[in-house]
Amino acid sequence: MKLFKHSCSALLISVASTIAFADTSVIVSASNPNSTLDQTTVSKIFLGKAKRFPDGSQALPVDQDEGSAVRDTFNTSILGKSDSQLKSYWSRLIFTGKGTPPKPSGDDAAVKDLVAKNPNIIGYIDSSAVDASVKVVHTF
Amino acid sequence: MKKKIHWGYPLLASLIAAPAMAGEDLQINGFLSVGATMADSNDATIAGADNQGGFKNDNVLGLQIQKQVNDSTTVTGQLVSRGTDDYKTEAAWAFVTYAATDDLDLRMGRLRIPFFYYSDFLEVGYAYNWVRPPEEVYRIGFSSFDGVDLTQRFSSGNFDGSVQVYYGRFQGDLTIGGNPLDTDLRNLTGIALAGEVGNFGSRLSYHQAELIIPASAADPVEDFRYSGQTSTFLEAALTYDDGDNSVIAEWTQLDHDTSALLDDSAWLVSAARRIDEVVIHLTYSTQVDKYDSGINGDMQKARGLGTEETSTTLGLRWDYDSSAALKFEVQHNDEEMVEGADGDSAILYSVAVDVIF
Repeated sequence: MKLFKHSCSALLISVASTIAFADTSVIVSASNPNSTLDQTTVSKIFLGKAKRFPDGSQALPVDQDEGSAVRDTFNTSILGKSDSQLKSYWSRLIFTGKGTPPKPSGDDAAVKDLVAKNPNIIGYIDSSAVDASVKVVHTF
Repeated sequence: MKKKIHWGYPLLASLIAAPAMAGEDLQINGFLSVGATMADSNDATIAGADNQGGFKNDNVLGLQIQKQVNDSTTVTGQLVSRGTDDYKTEAAWAFVTYAATDDLDLRMGRLRIPFFYYSDFLEVGYAYNWVRPPEEVYRIGFSSFDGVDLTQRFSSGNFDGSVQVYYGRFQGDLTIGGNPLDTDLRNLTGIALAGEVGNFGSRLSYHQAELIIPASAADPVEDFRYSGQTSTFLEAALTYDDGDNSVIAEWTQLDHDTSALLDDSAWLVSAARRIDEVVIHLTYSTQVDKYDSGINGDMQKARGLGTEETSTTLGLRWDYDSSAALKFEVQHNDEEMVEGADGDSAILYSVAVDVIF
């Protein structure tokens, strides 16, 4: 029973922390005409399978730096792949000249800056870092 | 002296700036596999290994550069140096890509022949779970050609597909019956279709070429010469990958007009289970030669042609750190027939480290 209680509270804590802290936003520039993007579209852009936004403009995905917690969350929740699975995925494309992974471009602030300046760039940041310079097109 | 310093600054600045600018779109990537093998006996040959320990046959170093030279044109070169080839360096890829549209690429130069599911990244050990692709199926002695290809990609909803057609020629040495022979494969052409829906994927490809080996002109029997007869290769693969579990089944068939080479079929089934950073996989692969009918078949037997073998491989891949994987494999190889006679079996133990950078 004690164990049950403990696991229950552990579960509650983890659920609560998911709601409270793990909210991540996929962002584009405030001047990007696309309003919302579904998970499939975001995933295709970040896996190099789609090169354009739904409105037809070019999409340039940028990653956060390796080891960032937001990046890990994005990879697992949106792309459904672990870091090593993604590396293996990209190695199949890099070494056939078929594609290159999104460029690692720093942390929340650096990605937000890049996105704000260029309507073609799409990135993801912790929701707490979002401001008016960028537009949120997907949250998870 | 003052003047020197004055001129030195811009020079220094440009030296610092130059690599940073080149780094914008000149990409340099590489892969390295190093391995060791030990067979329990020399009764069967697996991956060129013996029972004295091998430290060379699985070693492969690849370096790739890629540069987008303008909006539509990219150049890619990949140099590969293999332990099996005494580390002689070869261009596995060297091509120019012209992106006609977002989804249509035209390429020209030295390209990989898309014979198999794993052809494109055949030597990038990091890209798959095995130490090396099963050689019963991955049995064709060359992997690149010179020519052109066209790839059209399709995407709609959760479907992604592509059609690739190519045409070209291969000129080089092919090892046939243990001897490297000067070979010319003319009118080398084929098509590869690939599609993916969610976790499921499939691939179908067809290839053909006219096979010319000048040395074979001395053969007294005309049907045993390689003088421009057509050889064809058919391949089909089904894949499933949900992230934790993956399965691939690949089937192939090789048909030769010349009787000097036996027609054959080969297939593999492989299943893998991922637990965090560890993947456990099990593979069965088999290859069976088929004799021609009539007198040519009798002559094929008399010449000691014919192989039939199966392999079962149990392996473990551990992604112990970023961009690096450690692999262990135990492979039981049963050669039911070698050079037309009864064969034997052996067990091969392999360990390898695969890195990308």
